[in-house]
Amino acid sequence: MSFALPSAEVAADFKDALQDLKINSRPEISNLTIIAKENTEHAQAISRELENHIRSTRPEWKLPALYVLDSIVKNVGTPYTVYLGRNLYRTFMDAYTLMDMPTRKAMEGLLKTWKQPVPESMDTRPVFPSEVTRDIENALIKYRTVAIQQQALSQKQALHAVPARPMPATPWRNTPTPPQSTSRYTPSNDPRVRQAIPQQYGAQIPPTSTPPAQFPPGTNFQDRGASIDLDKLNSDIEKLISSARSEWALNPSDTGIQQKLKALFDLQTILKHQQLPPEQIRQIQDQVIQLSPAPAPSAPTSTSVPNSIPSFPSVLQQSATPVQPSSTPFSLSQFLAQNLPQQQPSSTPVSLPQILRQSVTPAQGSSTPVPAPPVYRPSVQPAPTPSNPPSLAQLLQQFGPAATPAAPTPVPAPPPPMSLAQLFSQPTATANPAGGADWLLNALRSQNLLGANNGTSVPPAPAPMSVSSIFPSTDPVDRSWSSSVRIENDVELTTASITKKSRPNLIAKLYEALPNQCATCGRRFETSAKGKEMKTRHMDWHFKVKDPDAAKRGVHRSWYINEREWIEFREQDDAAPAQASNGASDASGMLGVAKKETKDQYIHVPTDAALVHAPCPICQEKFEPQWLVDANDFVWMDAIKVNDKIYHATCWEEYSRGGGVGGGGGRNTPDSVLGKRKAEVSTNGLFKKTRAD
Amino acid sequence: MTTLPGLSLSAPQESLPQVPVSRTQDLPAGSEYRFEVPFSRSLGVKLLSGTAELFGTELAPHTKDPYTFSGIKAAIYTWHGCRLELSGETESEYTAEETQMMSYANAHFALENVRERAKASGQMGPRVLVVGPENAGKTSVVRILTAYAVKAGRQPVVVNLDPRQGMLSVPGSLTATTFASIVDVEEGWGSSPISGPSPVPVKMPLVYHYGLASPEEGKTFRPLVTRMALAVTSRLEEDAEAKTAGCIIDTPGAISHGKGGVYENIQHIISEFSVNVLLVLGSERLYSDMSRKFSNSPSEEPVSVIKLDKSGGCVDRDEPYMKQLRQSQIRAYFFGHGVNTLSPHTHWEDYSSVHIFKIVEEAKNTNRSFLPGDDDDGFASTTIYERVQPSPMIQNSLLAVTNADPNDKQEAIRDSSIMGYVYVADVEESKHKIRLLAPLSGRVPPHAMVLGSFPEDVADLVG
Ligand SMILES: Nc1ncnc2c1ncn2[C@@H]1O[C@H](COP(=O)(O)OP(=O)(O)OP(=O)(O)O)[C@@H](O)[C@H]1O
Ligand SMILES: [Mg+2]
Ligand SMILES: [Zn+2]
Ligand SMILES: [Zn+2]
Repeated sequence: MSFALPSAEVAADFKDALQDLKINSRPEISNLTIIAKENTEHAQAISRELENHIRSTRPEWKLPALYVLDSIVKNVGTPYTVYLGRNLYRTFMDAYTLMDMPTRKAMEGLLKTWKQPVPESMDTRPVFPSEVTRDIENALIKYRTVAIQQQALSQKQALHAVPARPMPATPWRNTPTPPQSTSRYTPSNDPRVRQAIPQQYGAQIPPTSTPPAQFPPGTNFQDRGASIDLDKLNSDIEKLISSARSEWALNPSDTGIQQKLKALFDLQTILKHQQLPPEQIRQIQDQVIQLSPAPAPSAPTSTSVPNSIPSFPSVLQQSATPVQPSSTPFSLSQFLAQNLPQQQPSSTPVSLPQILRQSVTPAQGSSTPVPAPPVYRPSVQPAPTPSNPPSLAQLLQQFGPAATPAAPTPVPAPPPPMSLAQLFSQPTATANPAGGADWLLNALRSQNLLGANNGTSVPPAPAPMSVSSIFPSTDPVDRSWSSSVRIENDVELTTASITKKSRPNLIAKLYEALPNQCATCGRRFETSAKGKEMKTRHMDWHFKVKDPDAAKRGVHRSWYINEREWIEFREQDDAAPAQASNGASDASGMLGVAKKETKDQYIHVPTDAALVHAPCPICQEKFEPQWLVDANDFVWMDAIKVNDKIYHATCWEEYSRGGGVGGGGGRNTPDSVLGKRKAEVSTNGLFKKTRAD
Repeated sequence: MTTLPGLSLSAPQESLPQVPVSRTQDLPAGSEYRFEVPFSRSLGVKLLSGTAELFGTELAPHTKDPYTFSGIKAAIYTWHGCRLELSGETESEYTAEETQMMSYANAHFALENVRERAKASGQMGPRVLVVGPENAGKTSVVRILTAYAVKAGRQPVVVNLDPRQGMLSVPGSLTATTFASIVDVEEGWGSSPISGPSPVPVKMPLVYHYGLASPEEGKTFRPLVTRMALAVTSRLEEDAEAKTAGCIIDTPGAISHGKGGVYENIQHIISEFSVNVLLVLGSERLYSDMSRKFSNSPSEEPVSVIKLDKSGGCVDRDEPYMKQLRQSQIRAYFFGHGVNTLSPHTHWEDYSSVHIFKIVEEAKNTNRSFLPGDDDDGFASTTIYERVQPSPMIQNSLLAVTNADPNDKQEAIRDSSIMGYVYVADVEESKHKIRLLAPLSGRVPPHAMVLGSFPEDVADLVG
């Protein structure tokens, strides 16, 4: 038995070699690729090393490292594609946000090739599964949209002749001069960004040139209750934004207006790029109505459309009518919170943060989290590191009035407001599902633009309308789930209860309660940690069953299982945690045979790279993965795990009996299971022997 | 007998090339797109935005490849509104604003309440029986309830007692299956296990062979129901997940006809499966009969009898369509469906190694009086089957391979679940050899094989 180097050692070597990679050097990259190729049993450790390096190395050295990644996945393929694919979203997005434009373009070029098969390869699958790349693409779109918004905003600001923003006393990051600090801001000034948008959409659109996935305006969400008009809602928000902007122009030092503006922008972004369930849209709509100044008592509420929302006063009117005393810090969330109880008496209240949280999970599938949900934590609050991406907040700060503690806050003792940031800074960091705009929201949160750390206006303790009353902060993980499923189900088993009453809110249990949808098959998951975990396993499963060679291998239908086997069979959910798959424990659901024969024991193919490639320590033969229907997974038959080593079950048996009894003879035959059906497995006499062997 | 094009071993029918015409279809919330696609055509459907479900199973959002439908009459419903992209041709299509989905969803939520209580108390979840006349939408409702239950994380056992349309098996079979994974959108209920990975998780059916078209004609229906009920009840008792979810039973329209107000088969199913929820679809008269009979019988556990309206989308399916449906199910058993092509095997057997038991039909056997579940009563074993020698007569027919030994009592053969089916591809009378198409290679075990009159022969399954 030859023992390979331990993973740690190989990984360390790889890391050393990586450290030297500072330019896009062919020989070095191929050298690293060769190391990876020759050590596939340490793929996991190597992948981790590579990811760490990309994350932690200086921005200008990241691109060469990404080329190493690219070279490895293309030239070596699995298992690297699996390991690197898991965190690709994070690896990519972390780096992307720090890059200058040319580097971003190069990264986009890489991404493009990952959506395609390896050139000249027999394998027709894309380098990375489309779920992985699609998420990144979606994030890129959002990223650039935000940048453009900021650009537009800054232009408008210029038009409105807002006093130039004083240079902040302290740089927004307190690190010493970052390598690319100037280029960071290019997105908002670079005219190319604008062009990139349609282009990017084009790339995202499936070949049939369908429009970007959004609810067709007007046709959707026309539920039986209040009608929802997305266009209207969007234009209403637009109006609110422009009025808030004018307001701000008049009171540039008012952080409250700034906060409001920020909240509105977030809302707008979300509405544009996420598909929200109608119920939530309706609630947003309601909140937006609340936000706009109340129309005069004689306002045209008696329109012909009974459920239509009241029309908004003109922008001019609005700007002339401050929404609140301008000195009061003000946030959308505050409004949301205030309005919650009376707004939704019967169903669960939904607040903006909740909507944000849910919407960053692709509720309707406009974007998909990657298999391993990336948790994007740009930095630790007090000391931002160079890996901080420019966030919406930062961009805002550029031209916003300085929201520094130094800014005068002439608020006498305002009722403690809740800001978005405050809500964000609740323990949502872990609660946030991955994918979509998650990175952006996290970035916003981490920048604490809105008061939590930068203003005197925000008390440390939650405001009267306590956040925690909406989300018990003890368990951030299950919040959105539990809040949605707590919709009361009052349907009784009677004809009247079932057929006479419509309960559209219950449908949320089938949809909104499970906002995290698999883009491949449509299955839904909770946003809880458990849901995320399940989805990760589920995506792994999809990945595993993509078998381009299936046709060649002559797949055939299997015989059906018999009664006893069926009764004892337990369904295996691909998303459920792998069972104790040790053959000896018999917990693996093996076809209901009361006592498995040694050679029928199996284990799920291990994910640990070291184990995958290790031969049976007794006979030195390698294990061959094979698909086992009943396990719904690739398995090694005739295998047993003992003390972290995997043996042939038959070898182990022979060995542990001192080589006495044989039994490692024949392999499985198709009907061996049937052949084992014996009278003694019968429990109640029902299942008499129906076949004599 | 007509020959189905494309049914040959060498070239299993591929889905037709996509007609490039594609169009978008916007559905407002609460409406459904109803469509019929003949077997000769195919329709591609993509969900561009919003949410959509086909008989309760959600379509994945903007998948790369469209869902492909052929030989189907169905509806895509949306709770939230959606935009679909359609490509290919339909025989008929329209959008309906009036559906029964709210009731059907409510039925699911009512069952969920029962399941919650069952879970809390460790009791068995609801045992649901769906009855109603032909084409009332029974199977569709069972699919919706199953799909919603799965979505809610349940694992219901779904029982098909309608031999005319197979569930995860061929027509003529009766099955019981625990559903824990997503129901296939394109292919009815999905697929039973195959030897390779499947992109949609396979289901594990327990299969019995009935071999006749209607439960009212044979004398094996009720004993089989008894047998299946025992197996299902055992599973429900032992499998905690299934126990909470309970079972959902689909039935053929024939048992709901009620000759002279008598519903022997319904009565039998209710007592064998301990049914406690009876969904009556699309018939006032049946509902009234059912309520009278079952809702307040003092002796047994009360049955909740619930009347559901028939969906306006239900279409009558004529015999030519049903026949094509049967043949496509048989074909799919051996050759797979869509892109999941399977490779069955043919091989020659001696006459002497196949043991064929032909179901004796009613006309030849006038004795109708048997008691439900009388497995080992005094009837002569020969009344169920007659043994037949292979002969050119049986060419093109389907044989059910039981788990029973040819020497077992006939009741044991009748009650045996089956391993699968073989198809008689060829009979060489002169050489006393028979060529069998089997799903997999290797010899077919020398078990008792049952030959019924249903489904009818399929010509040229093997080229
Ligand atoms: N809402 C609908 N829109 C369009 N087609 C539908 C709808 N509901 C059911 N169908 C179709 O109508 C036909 C009859 O429905 P289904 O098979 O559910 O009825 P059934 O009561 O089970 O019939 P049978 O008695 O033959 O078993 C099927 O082809 C089904 O797909
Ligand atoms: Mg039916
Ligand atoms: Zn999936
Ligand atoms: Zn060995």
